[in-house]
Amino acid sequence: MIAALCYEFRMQVRRPVLWVVYGLTLAALIATFGESYTMLDLGRGGGHDPKAAMVTSATITMTLLPIVYGCMLADRLVRDRRLGVAAILDATPSGRTGRLIGKYLGTCAATATPFAVAYFGRAVVWVIMEGRPAALGWSALMFLLGIVPGLLFLGALSVAGPLLMPPLLFRVLFAGYWVWGNLIPATMMPTLSHTVFAADSDYVPYGLLRLRMPDGMSTTGPWPGASLNLLRPVATPSVALLWIGLMVALAAAVLSLARLHTALTES
Amino acid sequence: MRIQISGLSKTYKGGVHALAGLDLDVPTGMYGLLGSNGAGKTTLMRILAGILKPTSGTVRVGGHDITTPDGRLAVQRTLGYLPQDLGVYPDLTARRFLDYIALLKGLDSRPTRRRRIGELLEVVALTEHADRRLKGFSGGMLRRVGVAQALLADPRLLVVDEPTTGLDPEERIRLRTLLSQLAGDRTVLLSTHIVDDVAQTSRSVAVLAKGRLVFQGKVGELTALAGRRVWNVTTSGPPPASGRIVSALPDGAGTRYRVVAPEPPAPHAQPAEPTLEDGYLALMEELPLKRGQSRESIA
Repeated sequence: MIAALCYEFRMQVRRPVLWVVYGLTLAALIATFGESYTMLDLGRGGGHDPKAAMVTSATITMTLLPIVYGCMLADRLVRDRRLGVAAILDATPSGRTGRLIGKYLGTCAATATPFAVAYFGRAVVWVIMEGRPAALGWSALMFLLGIVPGLLFLGALSVAGPLLMPPLLFRVLFAGYWVWGNLIPATMMPTLSHTVFAADSDYVPYGLLRLRMPDGMSTTGPWPGASLNLLRPVATPSVALLWIGLMVALAAAVLSLARLHTALTES
Repeated sequence: MRIQISGLSKTYKGGVHALAGLDLDVPTGMYGLLGSNGAGKTTLMRILAGILKPTSGTVRVGGHDITTPDGRLAVQRTLGYLPQDLGVYPDLTARRFLDYIALLKGLDSRPTRRRRIGELLEVVALTEHADRRLKGFSGGMLRRVGVAQALLADPRLLVVDEPTTGLDPEERIRLRTLLSQLAGDRTVLLSTHIVDDVAQTSRSVAVLAKGRLVFQGKVGELTALAGRRVWNVTTSGPPPASGRIVSALPDGAGTRYRVVAPEPPAPHAQPAEPTLEDGYLALMEELPLKRGQSRESIA
């Protein structure tokens, strides 16, 4: 598992296209959000508060970069077969499940690296501008607890999904899923947005990190007039932990299905 | 390391029978496995490499039953496998690729890995290309990388599937020689449809056809199947109507045909010394007539 993790990380993180696509998307993000990105304030105040600013930075980063993350992961598992390496790997005494987990963790970590560079880079710039290093701690907490669980689920989905369909089709569907299930307002149509099943969720900042924005509003909890409000409990520490657990459990379930699928198809 | 295969069958989804009740005993040393495309050779190789599970039958390699998880793991620890469609990670260098495979094979000690990879790059004559990315390698060089990865864990069993396909003659001879040298006290199972590769490397051979064993024995015995059945016919007219034409060479005003046939294919046909290829063709010619007979009666 460790071997697969290390080498998959190395191979993925060195792909120039990974950095180029992330760079272009980040540029589009900055152009779209403009002053909000510069001030780390989405019109709700808090741009000068380290915790609120780092949560806002995460919110902005999580709009488009997860699409890049998912799309760049989409060919990782199927390429072993496409390149013809699978036969050599399968003939080694390394377990297939261990290798799958190693590949998953390695490629996800590598694909999240530019993501992390963008997020922490923004945190560093904020600290330099505001002179409040506490933001680095909040950004680390927010990344580990509020972003990584979602990326673990998205990573599993993106690694396993192309086993069932061509990677290109998966990428299109993934982008659609991301917009429908994470970005649109809960009142627009039945959606997983803002539920405990959304990979982009505010349960950790509002529930676990006790964030209170200056405008007093929260994006968590039931939305008036929205369907599926049963899946939108009010943010508490236990709900935040539930969200983290759900993301990890979903990732494990998807990977188990992927392993089962490869076991069935290879025989 | 002895391979004992008994009643081995493999049926793919869709009902394609790749192997049908195969019995085969492979001793230590170089062993050739011949058969036309679709004969079941690659399926057999993949089962021996622990990649495919058989539908039924037993396969024992060095005493381990490869159809059980423990047995498969035990065999894979002593196995080197060079697949027919060898793939590599194009952006890794040869050294890095070998390092990755070595780790997967359980060579955890970095100094041991480095030393072993260095030795093998020397063996396959790729030392000076070791730090080049694999995407720049020729087909022959990639095959040699494939041989190197197969040898990383110093395997007692080497399973080599169509290793010379697509190589130029020089690379083919180089790879063949290398495999022969490696045989020694190992078992090297060489699967190919190129008869000459077996003729030049192996003493023993088995022939598969449509998932069944149709011959097992010494190379000389397979060659002998064409005894008194190989003919040279020189003619300026049409080619001989009976028998299977092995070759046709321009000869003066006419053409000299080499024909495998039970009877002289022309009145002026001259008997010729059989080769392994003639023996293989004679066997294949007989198969339609011998369907339903046991392999012993064929061999």
